[in-house]
Amino acid sequence: MDMKRDYYEDIQLFSSGVVIFWFVAMMVFLAVVPFIFKNYYIYVINFMAINVIVVLGLNLLVGYTGLISLGHAGFFAIGAYGTVVLITQAHLPFLLALLVAGLIAAIFGFLLGLPALRLEGPYLAIATLGFGVTVTQVIGKIKILGERQGLHAPDLIIGPWHFDTDKDFYFLLIPIAIILAFAARNITKTKVGRAFISIRDAEIAAETMGVNLTFYKTLAFALSAFYAGIGGGLYAFVLRFIEPELFSLSLSIMFLTMAVVGGLGSMMGPIAGACLLSWLDLQLRNILDIPYLGEWLRSLSQSYFSLTGVSNIQYIVFGGILLFIMLFEPLGIFGIWIRTKKYWKTWPF
Amino acid sequence: MIDFLQMVLNGIAAGSSYALVGLGMVLIYKASEVPNFVQGEMALLPVFVAFMLLESYGVPPYMAFPITLIFAFFLGCFLEFAILRRAKDPNILGLIIITIGMEMILLGLVSWKFGADQRVMPFPISEYDSIAIGNLFISSLNMLTLVAALFIMLVLFLFFRYSKIGVAMKASQQNETAARLMGIKTKQVRMLTWGISAMVGTVAGLLLAPVIMEPFMMWNPMMKGFAGAVVGGMTSLPGAVIGAYIIGVIENLFGGYVSIEFKSVVAFAVIVLVLCVRPSGLFARHYVKKV
Amino acid sequence: MKKKSLSIAAIMFLLVFGLALNGSAEQGVTDTEIHIGQWSPQTGPAAPWGAVARGTDAYFKMINAEGGIHGRKIIHHYFDDGYNPAKTVAGVKQLQEDVGMFGWVSGVGTACGLAVKDYLMGRKIPWVGPSSGSSHWVDPPQKYLFNDYPLYSGDAQILVKVAAEKLGLKRIAITYQNDDYGKLGLAGARKQAAKEGLSLVAEIPMNVADTDMAPFVMELKKANADSVLMFIGVGQVARLIGTGKAMKFDPRWMTTTTCADAPLMIAITKGLFAGTIVANFGLFEPQVVGIGNTEDVNNPSHPVVKKYYEDAFKKFAAKEERWGLTFVAGMAYAEPMLEGLKRAGRDLTREKFVAAMETIKDFKGSMGRVSYGSFDPNDPHCRVGQTEIFASEVTADGKYKVLMDWTEMPYVKID
Repeated sequence: MDMKRDYYEDIQLFSSGVVIFWFVAMMVFLAVVPFIFKNYYIYVINFMAINVIVVLGLNLLVGYTGLISLGHAGFFAIGAYGTVVLITQAHLPFLLALLVAGLIAAIFGFLLGLPALRLEGPYLAIATLGFGVTVTQVIGKIKILGERQGLHAPDLIIGPWHFDTDKDFYFLLIPIAIILAFAARNITKTKVGRAFISIRDAEIAAETMGVNLTFYKTLAFALSAFYAGIGGGLYAFVLRFIEPELFSLSLSIMFLTMAVVGGLGSMMGPIAGACLLSWLDLQLRNILDIPYLGEWLRSLSQSYFSLTGVSNIQYIVFGGILLFIMLFEPLGIFGIWIRTKKYWKTWPF
Repeated sequence: MIDFLQMVLNGIAAGSSYALVGLGMVLIYKASEVPNFVQGEMALLPVFVAFMLLESYGVPPYMAFPITLIFAFFLGCFLEFAILRRAKDPNILGLIIITIGMEMILLGLVSWKFGADQRVMPFPISEYDSIAIGNLFISSLNMLTLVAALFIMLVLFLFFRYSKIGVAMKASQQNETAARLMGIKTKQVRMLTWGISAMVGTVAGLLLAPVIMEPFMMWNPMMKGFAGAVVGGMTSLPGAVIGAYIIGVIENLFGGYVSIEFKSVVAFAVIVLVLCVRPSGLFARHYVKKV
Repeated sequence: MKKKSLSIAAIMFLLVFGLALNGSAEQGVTDTEIHIGQWSPQTGPAAPWGAVARGTDAYFKMINAEGGIHGRKIIHHYFDDGYNPAKTVAGVKQLQEDVGMFGWVSGVGTACGLAVKDYLMGRKIPWVGPSSGSSHWVDPPQKYLFNDYPLYSGDAQILVKVAAEKLGLKRIAITYQNDDYGKLGLAGARKQAAKEGLSLVAEIPMNVADTDMAPFVMELKKANADSVLMFIGVGQVARLIGTGKAMKFDPRWMTTTTCADAPLMIAITKGLFAGTIVANFGLFEPQVVGIGNTEDVNNPSHPVVKKYYEDAFKKFAAKEERWGLTFVAGMAYAEPMLEGLKRAGRDLTREKFVAAMETIKDFKGSMGRVSYGSFDPNDPHCRVGQTEIFASEVTADGKYKVLMDWTEMPYVKID
């Protein structure tokens, strides 16, 4: 039913009027969000948007090209530090600094892509993991990057606008995220995207068909690093303060988890995954404040576990949700969506 | 010179615990083809069970440790049987996330039960006594770890070579369909592999616990063990051990002669270099994907 | 009809009046309650520091049980941030905007604190006693931020002073964690060593993730150090001493207030921690104990700490809670805030609170003397709070033997 009958149908941005309707509804919703919700929720959405940007990029690499990366926190860090330093030291305007920092991250992505030409699976995982942990070590040694003491992000000024509150950031972040999402979507529909997919599905066959593996694999890394770099640059300003410890291995693992849980190789999947998991990440600490459940968990801790460690329930719930999604739907949230859609389309059969 | 030898010795000592974790990872990678992120926590829970047995129930060590290993075996089997096997149409990334999920749950359980404070494992051998060979020192605990790593490697080698289950395991790892046709219950075999891997990891955990015992104790050894296993080739048991020793020794030499700050990341640089030359590690045959 | 409109008018009146009442009172303060927030890692690798918040919580419960402050109970909201600044920001914003905090107390972690500093200061929300000894809190000073944790540099200074002056050790080495904490320690140690006419024989950086201590012991051995300052994590201290023992390296170990929990350290090193010199910023009183005498933390001699032990810890702490340094410190960091609330009087506003805090001079709780001054953007001293530190030696049974009385370690700008 989702069959594409010709090329133009495949590349068109919106496959039907229904999609356009929902897209417009979504845009309207996003436009009014900051006027409905409290500041705090805007912060959470900003945080989600940053993760969405990174995960979209990671999806190009992992979902479309079939490579793996456990080092995206490294690119994220390069983007964050790059943007801040380009503004404070080189006095570039914010958007230019962000772009340049993203490109620097992309260059590192290209370099990391070189060993990736020969590696796959766990070998690539450990090589990229090594890159991620090395980046933070190196940053911790560079004077201009604040060494281990970290850096303060300067005030964010674009032209006449001064971005200060979470609401301001929202109006900066959301458009960037949307533009990057469309860019990612379009990349996958071009020659480049098709090359990525062919590499993922059958590397040798792709090569025989004339897909330049060296070029496209490093390009996938560079593109994906660019997204992570942009995300990092924005993160530095949302958080106002960065230090090397922020960009740890667990962050890389979290990015990968978001991409996979969302559903690799789709557009909406990683977006959903990034939103869901960042929301859980920020909100699960409140689990003990839920009426009844919280009290029950506390009494459970008192009799069988320990009250001092009760917050660790977050880990258990988070892990449980990961298991639940991945066990029943290898395609993640996107898979669940497809299944629901299919069910309703073919209903009552 | 004496410094150099001491560094090599320290490296071997550090490498031994990496080796044990790495062995566990390789076993599981061979059976389920997934880099197992729950390897560390599969050992963590049994270690805390041992702690509970020794501390709260007063079980003597010679009883407590075997009970712990049996518990670890069942834990490993349980994780495979109850969780991993239930994955629908698994792909490798999905499986990785499942192991990460299991890792979070086990870690959460242990931290929930025991809190975050450092604990003291009552261990029969003091970790602060050392054996002196001339001017070289190795702590008796490290010596034990070294012996344990080599012993377990040998046992696993013999097990895979001569025991019926071991041969069955090897067979199902090499060609699952063929093995099943030959009447091997490959699913059971995989479950047993997880059990054995958990046991091996638990040995590493028990030997680390006297020095550091808190919920995050296995994180670093697991990463290093993983790295060692990758250098060694991920599918080769001796490879995992040798890879772990290479990493331990290089870390120590680098820390001693070049920069102690970058000691913990140099291992990864080595890996990238090794992998550039031999993309599937030192001891694994390069597997070429067929179209 | 008339009745109805009357009742509507009444409701309107009540609403307007209620709103007006709400508007006039300070955020986070009602007739019966003061809301105070705090973050701390209850999960993750930094979770041992979570005891700080639980200590503060027990302390506030004790205050409430004694009748509160000017008839108001303190409602303490603490949340888990897992030592991740992104989560700290989320939690602080949520509590501040959904519930409304009058002010914030303590808060573990330099990075976590820095991530919310601008937010709190921009909204003129008081924050007392960040629990990390970083110069970021007072340099430049902020009107609404009161520090009460002695800088880590002070720890290093007193340790070097003890080593050089009391014990006559000349070959002092330092191994420091590669971050704010360690770097401040390094700066303090260098400064004091220069004062003593010495220079550090080795300065060895260590990463948080380092677990294998043998290379560090080798470096220290190579430098032929007779005393080693450890500005590293609790577990690393234990392992470094143990590895040193195994490699027959036995200098005089010295460590900071963060690793000064004698009973815990003695337990996890199986007694090897005995003889280690630690810096202290309170929890017992060197003059009460007497120089050269020992103090058992489980039987506190300091009347204030004893009261905490009886009235806060025993009554309000969870049964698994350990009466340890971190837990008690959580109470100590909150003392100046409570003093400020007391001084501000019944008619509490943030401005009055800040003014009251500024009147605090030589206030003595369970730590050293705390003093603040009127706000001067160029003078960190008005917000530094406490600068006194003393030193003791840990005995084999997990007690402290006082070596050096309170010593003023004045705030120095460190670049």
